[in-house]
Amino acid sequence: MSAHGLTDMSMIRNWSKTLLLTELRSGLAVTLRNMLRPKVTVRYPEEKTPQSPRFRGLHAQRRYPNGEERCIACKLCEAVCPALAITIESDMRDDGTRRTTRYDIDLFKCIYCGFCEEACPVDAIVETRIHEYHMENRGENIMTKDKLLAVGDRYEAMIAADKAADSQYR
Amino acid sequence: MREIESYTMNFGPQHPAAHGVLRLVLEMDGEVIYKADPHVGLLHRGTEKLAESKPYNQSIGYMDRLDYVSMMCNEHGYVMAIEKLLGLSVPIRAQYIRVLFDEATRILNHLMWLGAHGLDIGAMTMFLYCFREREDLMDAYEAVSGTRMHATYYRPGGVYRDLPLQMPQYKPSKWRNEKEVARLNEARRGSLLDFMWDFTERFPERIDEYETLLTDNRIWKQRTVNIGVVTPEEAMALGFTGPMLRGSGVEWDLRKKQPYEVYDQVKFDIPVGVNGDCYDRYLVRMEEMRQSNLIMRQCIEWLRDNPGPVMADDHKIVPPEREEMKDDMEALIHHFKLFTEGYTVPEGEAYAAVEAPKGEFGVYMISDGANKPFRVKVRAPGFAHIAAMDFMVRGHMLADVVAVIGTMDIVFGEIDR
Amino acid sequence: MSDDQVTIEVDGISLPAKKGQMVMEVTDDAGIYIPRFCYHAKLSVAANCRMCLVEVEKAPKPLPACATPVAEGMKISTKSPAAIAAQRATMEFLLINHPLDCPICDQGGECELQDLAMGYGRDISRYNEGKRVVADKDIGPLVSTDMTRCIHCTRCVRFTEEIAGFQELGTMGRGEDMKIGTYVEKAVNHELSGNIIDLCPVGALNSKPFRYRARAWEMIQQATVSPHDSFGSNMFAHVKQGRLMRVVPQPNDEINETWLSDRDRFSYDGIYSTDRVIKPLLRIDGEFRETEWSTVLEQVSDRLQQTDAAKIGFLSSPGATVEESFLLQRIARGLGTNNIDHRLQARDLGDSDNDPVQPHIGTDIVSLESADAIAVIGSDLRREVPMLAHRVRKAALAGATVSFINPPGQQYQFSHQYLATELTQLRAALGALIGAAEVATGKIAPDSVAQRVDRQSHDETHRAVAESLAQGERSHILLGHLAQRHPAFTQIRALASVLADMTGATIGFIPESANAAGASLVGVLPHRGAGGEPVATPGLNARQMLADALDAYVLFGFEPEVDTVEGAQAVETLRNANFVVVMSPWLSEQALEYADVILPIGTFAETAGTYVNLEGRWQSFSGVATPVGEARPGWKVLRVLANYLHLDAFDYNDALEVTVAAREAVPVELQDYRIGPMPSMDGADFGDDLMPAPISLYGSDSLVRRSRPLQRTPLARGVGES
Repeated sequence: MSAHGLTDMSMIRNWSKTLLLTELRSGLAVTLRNMLRPKVTVRYPEEKTPQSPRFRGLHAQRRYPNGEERCIACKLCEAVCPALAITIESDMRDDGTRRTTRYDIDLFKCIYCGFCEEACPVDAIVETRIHEYHMENRGENIMTKDKLLAVGDRYEAMIAADKAADSQYR
Repeated sequence: MREIESYTMNFGPQHPAAHGVLRLVLEMDGEVIYKADPHVGLLHRGTEKLAESKPYNQSIGYMDRLDYVSMMCNEHGYVMAIEKLLGLSVPIRAQYIRVLFDEATRILNHLMWLGAHGLDIGAMTMFLYCFREREDLMDAYEAVSGTRMHATYYRPGGVYRDLPLQMPQYKPSKWRNEKEVARLNEARRGSLLDFMWDFTERFPERIDEYETLLTDNRIWKQRTVNIGVVTPEEAMALGFTGPMLRGSGVEWDLRKKQPYEVYDQVKFDIPVGVNGDCYDRYLVRMEEMRQSNLIMRQCIEWLRDNPGPVMADDHKIVPPEREEMKDDMEALIHHFKLFTEGYTVPEGEAYAAVEAPKGEFGVYMISDGANKPFRVKVRAPGFAHIAAMDFMVRGHMLADVVAVIGTMDIVFGEIDR
Repeated sequence: MSDDQVTIEVDGISLPAKKGQMVMEVTDDAGIYIPRFCYHAKLSVAANCRMCLVEVEKAPKPLPACATPVAEGMKISTKSPAAIAAQRATMEFLLINHPLDCPICDQGGECELQDLAMGYGRDISRYNEGKRVVADKDIGPLVSTDMTRCIHCTRCVRFTEEIAGFQELGTMGRGEDMKIGTYVEKAVNHELSGNIIDLCPVGALNSKPFRYRARAWEMIQQATVSPHDSFGSNMFAHVKQGRLMRVVPQPNDEINETWLSDRDRFSYDGIYSTDRVIKPLLRIDGEFRETEWSTVLEQVSDRLQQTDAAKIGFLSSPGATVEESFLLQRIARGLGTNNIDHRLQARDLGDSDNDPVQPHIGTDIVSLESADAIAVIGSDLRREVPMLAHRVRKAALAGATVSFINPPGQQYQFSHQYLATELTQLRAALGALIGAAEVATGKIAPDSVAQRVDRQSHDETHRAVAESLAQGERSHILLGHLAQRHPAFTQIRALASVLADMTGATIGFIPESANAAGASLVGVLPHRGAGGEPVATPGLNARQMLADALDAYVLFGFEPEVDTVEGAQAVETLRNANFVVVMSPWLSEQALEYADVILPIGTFAETAGTYVNLEGRWQSFSGVATPVGEARPGWKVLRVLANYLHLDAFDYNDALEVTVAAREAVPVELQDYRIGPMPSMDGADFGDDLMPAPISLYGSDSLVRRSRPLQRTPLARGVGES
């Protein structure tokens, strides 16, 4: 670390640098170097940056291969949710099994911590890699059970692959 | 005509150089400031109080959102306080992972600071360059935790998951052919550690570039040299920590002075300044990035050679693995209870501090034996720094206020909490 | 230190203990927790879960704390390595056959097995073999079973044997094959059967109506009081987002101990029945229209003011709270009428000067247990007040001689004397008892009742009953609902008083519903105002009001078609009235015919209030659930109505102010019942058709009648009783 009080020597150096445009040149050299480097930007949305299988994005509810919903209304996700974003109401379905009658996630409250997925004993609620979603009207921020299941149905292949990829670490 | 002797000016909270929601009430005499009154609280979310109302683990995610440019360091302070109360020891591999990501976080933070500081006082391109390098570290964050910022990755007892052995890769698109994609994926062919190693290979060169642009740049020096000078005594009296303290020449770094995790196992130096002005603090931070890079390399080398658990084996506190939870009664009960009630922490109090990029980030925690803290107090380094605003800008010009705000590396998430 | 005192040392702390106490009792009193599953303070010791193993110095093996009697100088460690190892091993064995049901088990989160597994068990299992499966049993609509989860603590078996008093649940098989079963797979037919839900430390026995509805941590626990009988059981209401999800007992050793009757536990279902009125209804051109509160109340006040006060009748449920009763009688009297009554089921309303100001059982609940003799007259105790029947049973087990002078067919699971008496013969039976008492005591019955005394026909049982009452130092006579509803009640009361005088017993009444005592006290009576003050010109009583139509009626919280003596007649009378205001949470079909205005009021769960129980205890509670629709607490409706009527001093801001006002208006001291001038003993016998109907356990009030789980029980259907 140098002292940067202006001595006589440094005054002279300063003058000469001014005269020769040294800083300008070296700065432009950096710019030029970077101009010649390959671009780091991507043409979103046609092109996307890679995503980790661990990515925590939009939620989904999964089904078993036979079409039965996985969720058994144990409410561990509701209990562990730090933001209280999950609301569950449960009851006995006609076949006597324990099911949710309501499963809402408020995306405005959600902090995407992933605890719901960690808590789920049957891998029903998951966070997918989907991050490009939006709402246009008030109320659309509530992901109802139907919406969650629809997301799960549509992206099941991706979800299954992601979870399989990460299963060895959990 | 009446002569105006002084006037009051509001700086922020919407000013782009106010770094978030800083509101400064400046008393000015012409261009000269003779009083600066920073207002806090616009980003207050009651994190401390919130943490008192939920089980210990549930607040980890909120720690990310304090200083939201050094996420994992905040988590680190929080989980360390819990571990201290629990008397829980962390597996050595988890300690290395934590150090690795603490240092990655430091680089992330300093890059953010450098970009914004540069932007504030006239070095526009810095911002773009810095964000280019941040991107790689963000990818590392995402690979390990699933999010690019708010990781929720550190847990009492270790870290949530081990480092992934594969990195996600670019895919060919109509905009890029195989060859280009292969180039983009070059660093991503191996594990996360390889990816980060690649970053550490490239990064010192990038710092050189930044320094080329700034260190000898006359405009940069004119804006920073002899601005906001703080003597070592003043810095200590004002409660400065981190680069703010070291920039004044005080050699104080928690990583050295009270080493936590494996900081006593890795080699690094702590840079200190001489004059205590904005320029010295700039130099200190630049050097810190180089040192962090070194620490990361040491951690990566160790982690490559030493596989092992990344979580403590005590399932009274750490949830059991998913496989076990699914076919093991004891494990299921523990899973159930840990995710609903959480664990209880013995009565007592603890203070745990880490050397966050901005200074000493500490969490003081009191437990009354319940499953949630009785009290959590966050010691945010930025709060002490912003308190010195008046002291640092008095007598300077208005434009220097921007430089001083920049040099303080203010993030309101942690100041307002 | 007396002879029966010893000192033991637990974890280095020396504790005083009584000889014969078990270690667990001593440690519990001292606040030292030892894990347990099978031990329960109110049940016998079984020592079969082995969870409470502790290390005792000089004992070769760990001993179960629940079944190890204390001895002088005993040194016990509950947390020594040996004790912890023993507890851990027990826990491991208990979990071997436990299914991985936590996520779907209602007990999850409030499960003793989970808690103790966290606290005392291993964290990862070493057991990899298959688990056993046990078939579930259908034991009725109240209790769900998942028998695979059972850990064989036998608390439920001991409860049915020791508390309910008969063997319905038992254990079959041994070791791995051990099962809990009902011997004939029949429903657990007891009015207290729901308590096995609380007792079960795991999720094997759970509440069926509550099944899968909510988690323990989602609900807010709020204290309240039973609205169904005058016992005043303390309960906790568990409320989720304003909706009452379930009811559990609030332990109170002075009242309900740790138990709760099924009626109190499961009636909440009726709160959310489909026929709840959610908005005030006003009859316009013969049709009911949903109307705003303000409009309706204005209409009601106008119509009432237009009606001649003497032609208005106020009828109130004996289950209305003190506050509601107090305000209703103030409105009635503010309007200038004494036509107000709550004795809807009484047939004999003569001799009302001899009514007690506050009917009560003449003793307190706890003392009843140490009685020497109890005679229950004209009652179906287990259906009237199930928890009182339980206390009487405890008294019998403690050595009291319990006699029943009741209609035949009732069953009590303890040794007792049963004087089976048809209701038509109740007077005669009392006459014979007095005859027997003359023999037993050598006293002569006063002339005033001589007409009814029967000195010939007393038999063995009569004499035994009279003797037990006379010999016991603490003898109690209790007059039940059947007696109070009897067409010759005043004579029965006089005869019972004579019997009590002769034998030195106290005489008590079992008040109807939750708050007949409170209603009497605050003056919901035609002949008495608040505090039992006689009124100058008594009004019409309930039977008179319902016999011939008045111009207007205000009915509060009951259904005249079922809750009055002659339902059909009552409905007919009301239909002929000009203006009938019904304040009720529900809309019954008949109400559509006679009502002109229906004001939705809150059930017990939705209003703050006070009940006075059968020992004179005032118990206040606050509203626990959000009222359904636009229903409002009854006291608020009455208060606002009074404001519309421009009555003075109705400016109560909250329920507590009403409570305080009511409390100030009534005497504080509880008085033993003393009969005044004897009523006439004339009168012919009554036919069977005039007798009160048998007590209906699950038909006792509107709420119970709407509880679907209760209505599905065999007890409600009147079959398979034991």
